[in-house]
Amino acid sequence: MNDLNDPVIRGYLTRLVGEDGLVMVERMPEGEVTDEQIAEATEVLLNVVRRTLFIMSENKLAVCRRERDSNSGWLTYLWHLDMTDVDPQLAKEKKKLTKNLALRLDFEEGNVFYVCPDGCVRMLFNDAVENEFLCPMCGEDLTFKDNADFTDALKKRIETISEK
Amino acid sequence: MELDELTLNTIRKHKDGVFQSELWKEMEIDSRKCSRIVTKLITDNLVIRESAVSNGARTYLLKSVDDTKASYDDLLAGDVFSPCAGCRDACQPELCDKLSDWILHLVNLEDES
Repeated sequence: MNDLNDPVIRGYLTRLVGEDGLVMVERMPEGEVTDEQIAEATEVLLNVVRRTLFIMSENKLAVCRRERDSNSGWLTYLWHLDMTDVDPQLAKEKKKLTKNLALRLDFEEGNVFYVCPDGCVRMLFNDAVENEFLCPMCGEDLTFKDNADFTDALKKRIETISEK
Repeated sequence: MELDELTLNTIRKHKDGVFQSELWKEMEIDSRKCSRIVTKLITDNLVIRESAVSNGARTYLLKSVDDTKASYDDLLAGDVFSPCAGCRDACQPELCDKLSDWILHLVNLEDES
């Protein structure tokens, strides 16, 4: 299994399955096991285990095998985690983030923003005009918001991503 | 320089990875020898291997571990991972609050440094 202490992998899994799900991943027993066995071994709630396994499987990080009992005809679902595909998954996430950051940069550079000094809203110029430059929540005067630091940080990150 | 080291350096030279079917030709060694070295590099956690198709034939894409680890660091803003990962919101990135928060983390990191 990949190193769960790696901040990237840890961050990725936390984002996917949450803190409870990560506890399940860390305490996951070896070999093929049922969801109930996982819940017992990891002391994580069964519904959290099922949700985590579903998300992990959806992201190609868990494998499920179905077994039919020849006597009763009952189906048993056996699970194990397989983290070998984590790198291609991270590559997909990186591609998605790059695309979204580029869209956001275009939007930030092509618009002018106004904010409420109390932090209620951030508005486009046209919306601020419609609201007569008053905050629709608290009635304070809206002020111009320079987004240069925001766009600079965006540009920098897009640049470092595309360099690698 | 040993052949293992030479192979690793050749893989590192290719930023986006190199197909195993091209690697042995580039290194002018036979495919069997190349496969053995690659297996050793994977066991030593120096290289990762993904299934791939090149010119319609199944092969492996090889990437050096240093490169891939470094490149995914950009998904983190400090210790906060990209909010787009596993996100099910049908959002517009232009107006997404989660993405705004993540970018604000980037801004704060810039300020701190």
